[in-house]
Formats: sequence, C-alpha cells, structure tokens
Amino acid sequence: MSFTPYTYFQCPCTESNLPTRRLGENASTEEEESDQDDRTFDPRAPRANYSLYPLEYLLYCEDCHQIRCPRCVLDEIVTWYCPNCLFEVPSSTVKSEGNRCTRSCFQCPICIAPLSVSSTEAPPEGLGAEHATQNGPYVLNCAYCAWSSKEIGIQFDKPNGIFAQLSKIQNGGKPIVTPRERRKDREERTRDTSGSTMNEDGVVEDLPGIMNLDPHELLDAESQFSNLKAFYQSQLADSSPASALGFTGEYGYGSPGALSRIMGLYTGGSFAEKKAKSKKGAMREAQDALEGLQITSPASEEKAVNRLLSEGWESTASAVQKKEQSYNTHFVSDLRPIAHLLRTKRSKRCRTCRHILSKPESKVQTTRFRIRLVALNYIPSISIKPLQPATLGRETFLTPMKPTQFLLTFKNPLFDNVKVNIATPASTPGRFSSKVTILCPQFEVGANTDAWEEALREGGGKGTEREKKRTKAEASEGQNQAEAGKIWERGRNWVSVVVEVLPASLKIEGPEFMRSEELKKDDGPLREDEDVVEIPVFVRVEWEADVAHDDTAGLTATSRDKEAKEKRELAYWCVLGVGKIIQD
Amino acid sequence: MSKKVAKGEYIETDTGNKVSRRSQIIGTTNIILGGKTVIQAEVIIRGDLLRTLSSSTGDKSSGNPVAVAIGRYCFFSRGCELRPPGKLYRGSFSHYPLKIADHVFVGPSSIIEAALIGSHVSIGSNCVIGKFAIIKDYVRILDGTVVPPNMVIPSFSVVGGRPGRVVGEVAEGEVDGFDLREVYRGVGNS
Repeated sequence: MSFTPYTYFQCPCTESNLPTRRLGENASTEEEESDQDDRTFDPRAPRANYSLYPLEYLLYCEDCHQIRCPRCVLDEIVTWYCPNCLFEVPSSTVKSEGNRCTRSCFQCPICIAPLSVSSTEAPPEGLGAEHATQNGPYVLNCAYCAWSSKEIGIQFDKPNGIFAQLSKIQNGGKPIVTPRERRKDREERTRDTSGSTMNEDGVVEDLPGIMNLDPHELLDAESQFSNLKAFYQSQLADSSPASALGFTGEYGYGSPGALSRIMGLYTGGSFAEKKAKSKKGAMREAQDALEGLQITSPASEEKAVNRLLSEGWESTASAVQKKEQSYNTHFVSDLRPIAHLLRTKRSKRCRTCRHILSKPESKVQTTRFRIRLVALNYIPSISIKPLQPATLGRETFLTPMKPTQFLLTFKNPLFDNVKVNIATPASTPGRFSSKVTILCPQFEVGANTDAWEEALREGGGKGTEREKKRTKAEASEGQNQAEAGKIWERGRNWVSVVVEVLPASLKIEGPEFMRSEELKKDDGPLREDEDVVEIPVFVRVEWEADVAHDDTAGLTATSRDKEAKEKRELAYWCVLGVGKIIQD
Repeated sequence: MSKKVAKGEYIETDTGNKVSRRSQIIGTTNIILGGKTVIQAEVIIRGDLLRTLSSSTGDKSSGNPVAVAIGRYCFFSRGCELRPPGKLYRGSFSHYPLKIADHVFVGPSSIIEAALIGSHVSIGSNCVIGKFAIIKDYVRILDGTVVPPNMVIPSFSVVGGRPGRVVGEVAEGEVDGFDLREVYRGVGNS
C-alpha cells in the first residue's frame, strides 16, 4: 500500500471551541508548551479530524481575512436540477412536487443504474426500417443488470411523462387510486352532502366523478396517510370549541372556532365569549378505509411468510434496495423504479460577515463561477517530497531511528512578497513520537508575478539594486545545502526548505527510557494510522498589501503618497503527513 | 548540416501531439486530435468503428466521417482503450462518434465507450465507462469505477463504485487542479 504525503490545514473556526483535550487524560505537559498563545495542535485528537481539510476544500473571506472551511460556511441553494436529464426545476415546483425528478428519470431498483425507455415492439426490418416509429407499449430497461419493468408487470402507453404514468400503476398492472384523486373524490362527496343536489324526483343522485371506493379497501401507505389526515382535520374542525381564548391549539384558519376567535378580536371580546360557551364535541376514530382505517388481519402476515417459504432468499430485497424505496417492501417483485433525487448548485457565504465566498452560475450547463474566493489563491500551498529520490518499492516508508529529510515547498499565490515563519513541536504528539527539526524556520517567498512583469519592472532603473540583491542571495541560497538557517532552493514565487524527521520506533515492548510517557500509560497494540508520521506545523504568513482605494486614486495628484501599505498576517496550524514507519 | 533524428518514445506532430510508437491507433483518418495531446504506449483507439447509416441521410459529409474526436491537452495513459459506442437502432446496428473535450486525463487500462466526455475530466485507472454515457465538465472518476451504460454524470461530481454512483462533489479549489498543461510539459521524449 503506497502512501502519498498530504498536507491538511486547520480552519481557525474550531479554535473558539473547547480545547482539544483527549478524553480520560490529565492535561499533559505537551499542551502547555508552545511558543504561541495557543496550545500545540494534536492531529490525533478525536476532534482534530473535523477541523482538518486539504487546501482545495478551503475558501477565504476577503473581509474577515480568514480561512473558511466547509463547516463554517453557510450554504444557499441557487438552482435545483435533475442529475439525469439536466433539466432545471424551479424552486416552486420543488416545494409542491417534492425533491425528485418528475419527468422520465428513474433508477433501477436492483442496481441503482439509470433506466432507459424502450418499446416492446419487435424492431422493424426491411426497407424504410430506420424511418419507422415505434409506438408499442413502452417499458423501462436497465442496461447494467438487465432488469426490465416487465418483471414487475408495468408497461407504459407513452414514452414521456413516465413519472405520472408510474404513479398510477401498481406492480402487477392494476391501477392505483392516487391520493390526489382521493382528495378530489372526498371534496366532491362533501360538496354533495352539504348542498345536496336533488333532481326533480327528489332523489339524490351520484355526481359524476365520485368513485365507488370500497370501505374495506387495502390501502397503501400514502393513501392511508392522506385519508387519515383528512379525517382528523375534519374531526378537529368539527369538535374544537368555538372559544375566544383559542386554547384548543388551533391557531390556523381551519376550524370555525378559530375563525370566530379572530373575528372576535376586533369586534369586542365579551359578546363573543358569552356566545361561545359550547360543549366540547367528542372526537371519534376512523371507521373504514375511506377515513383511513386499516385492520391488520393475521392472514396478511401468513401470506408474506408463505411467499418467503416458496420463493426463497433470492426473492427478498436487500437492505440497500429497501432503503431506496419509499414504501415498506419485502420482496424483489415489490420493488419499484426510483425517481432520481434532484441535485443543487449552492452558493457559500461566510458565517460572520455574510460575504459571498463562492457563487456558481445559475444555468446548469455553465460551469463557471460568478464569485470564487478559494484559499488556494490567498495562502501559500505546501507540498512535501523526500529529499533523496527514493528507490522503487521503498518510497514512502520510513525506517525507525534513521534520520530522513523532506523537502517542503511553499508556493505563494499573492502578488506581494510574503514572510513565512514555521514552527513545530520538537516531537510529534502521539504514542510514538518522532523528532522533527525544521532547518530554516523563517524565510521570504517572492510574489506571484509573471516573468514579463518582472522583466518590465527591472528595466525601470532598479535593475542594479536587484542584481546586487540577487548575487548576494545566490551566494548563500540556492546552493542546495541542508544547513540550519538556509533554504534549499528558491524560485520566482516558491521556496523549498528542508525538514529532518527522526521516525520513532514502533516497538511497544522495549527498554523504559525509549518509551514515551504516553506509551507507558497505554501499551495496547498498534492502532490504525499510528504508524503514520504526522507533523503539526504552525505557519505564520506576513505580507504588505495595498489598501484598496480605487475611487480616490485618479482624483488627487499625490496618489503615490496615499499608497499606504497595510501589514497583514495570517496564522494557522497545518498537519503534514510525511510517511509511514516500517515495523521493525 | 545533418540533423540526427533520435528515435524517441513519442512521435511529435506539428500541432504538438505526442503519440507513442507503441500505441495501436486504427483508422487514423477518422480520428481528430486537438493538439498537445499525449498518447502513451499500448493505447488502443478504434477509429474503424464508424457510423454505418445508409446514404439516405444526404451527402453532407465533405471529408472523412469522424469516429473519435479528441480535444487539446488530453492525456491517455498506458493501456487504455477508446471505443466508439454502438447500438441497435431501428433495426440496424451502428456506431456513434466518441467526442472528448479538452484537458481529459484517462488513467491506465481504462476502457472508454462513452458518447460524450466534457472538459477537465479525470478518469482513474482500470475504469470502465459504459456505452453512451455522458460525462459533463470537471468530473473526477475514481479508480476501478464501472460507469453503467446511458448514465449522465453532471458537472463537478466525484463518481465511484460498481455501478458508478455520484459519491461526492468537486470542491471549488480543485477546479484548477484538472488543468493538464503542466502534465503535457512534463512528458519528455526520451
């Protein structure tokens, strides 16, 4: 298993919380020792995992001059779209229809691959075959596991609008009465009974549109829920007291009691109160399937058990398959195609100053960003590689007790020079602490200018000064010396320094003086990732930035004096994962 | 003045494409390379799988029909295979063109049978991209993924697993990491 060196940055949003104490331990001396005011950062603390991110995941707020991590930004949805048909869905439709695609985008219930619509007609042959249109009954096909909706007995008349067609058919081909149709039917019934229509003969006849619903019908979960809900709402409306106090808990406009209370607020209380001292009506429970009652019969369980006995294990749905379904299904033949969940484009906002940090375009096809303030453009990136090019096979493994040197390259993205100070505790935290020495803790990295800009600037008379600086610098730097106080190599906007690591031995048993404090307390076997050498490094970056005064620059003649340089600094912890120690 | 032309690993064309001598490219007249593209050894590109529609569609093809169209700064690692997808449509089986945009990195031993791959896509090693898959821009496909046929992968997704599912999103800071210009410059002709 190869190990790639990594650098994780800690977002300062976690520092305002409780200190990262490891549970069950007294305050170790490690936490007190530090050059800065903060405690040293322990990458192995349980909390540390939640605050460390690779540099690509971090954003930067220009107003607060701070790093923002995915945990401390606020997300706002810009657009909703279906990940399969890439069709934008307006947010009003999302609120009413739900967060799934309502066109023809479905996933196979067996393997979650996308389904395609195809005709069940035999393919046309002979002359003019390519012009023949197919309009046989349509089915959904999975190209990955060869499942087809024929296996659950569902076929469609039209190739579009599968979502609507699917909601009307059960597995097996029988039509479903959708909750919407039930609601319409209910409304028709109540309208009918409240203002009953009598024809000339004085007989109440059935209005067209009312369905003859079976009072002992076996309802599915959604229909039962909608029936029950409507029933209870009507019960509450009928039975709640028409009291002006309104303590029934019904603060909406639903019940007549609430309505009269609200009217009574403005027309004077006492009159309404005396009138409203009626008895609390009794509420009853649902009586039949129309109202949402479902009586479980012992026979229904027997049916399922018999089916299981006859069809066997393979006919049952797995946990993953069941999780994706909206209804409680046990068998594979009860599984239905799953509509795709809609995906969003989100814009991210700083939590403290509400500045927008990242805003994508609202069109689904465009991949550009309107605003994109990423930390990569503001803080120096760190990359690690071993100083000696390693032999194959032994690349990233560190031998215990053998000093190994690594090259840290700091690349500066800003347009100004930055001064970087790095510091690290002398030994890494954890049970097996390796000794770390930074050879050059302070250095300056050049600005991220293009080669052209530098050439243009040098031509302006400052040439000799720069050249002198360069030769003097060249004498000591860039000579690739691994000496304390000297950098390894310098480029236009990057600097590399050497860090020496003395990996600890992973022996749990051993002479007393070799074992660290923690190992003495806790001598269990080697846990996961304990052999990875993680170095916490505190980085402080200082630079001088132009204070932005764009509007006044052109007006005054002495604009040069107004170019006040503001000193800015940024400090954060990072964790460098340099390699794995071989067990000896 | 005689120039000694060294026999390097790559043949470099005028447009900057670096094609390995040990790659197997069939049907070169039907393949379009955008420029600055690297094709490593043992890469197979099937330019012979063409569309076989009858000529009733009209004689609008002025030049050669295109089987595989590749953009700029693409990188095809060792052993990968590009195959135009084919299906049975209205009674006849025909292949459809495979279109790949710029800055696409394909890992070693992957098989690509997609219909469309957008720009700035990074495909891992040993992947299989099923027929007629559509991959949009800025997508990362992890190693060993099998993308099922007809799948549409929206922009900024991280896809993994068998069958391939969207397992994550590409962060805003990773967008610049998909650029392959440095990778192209790093390819030497030894």
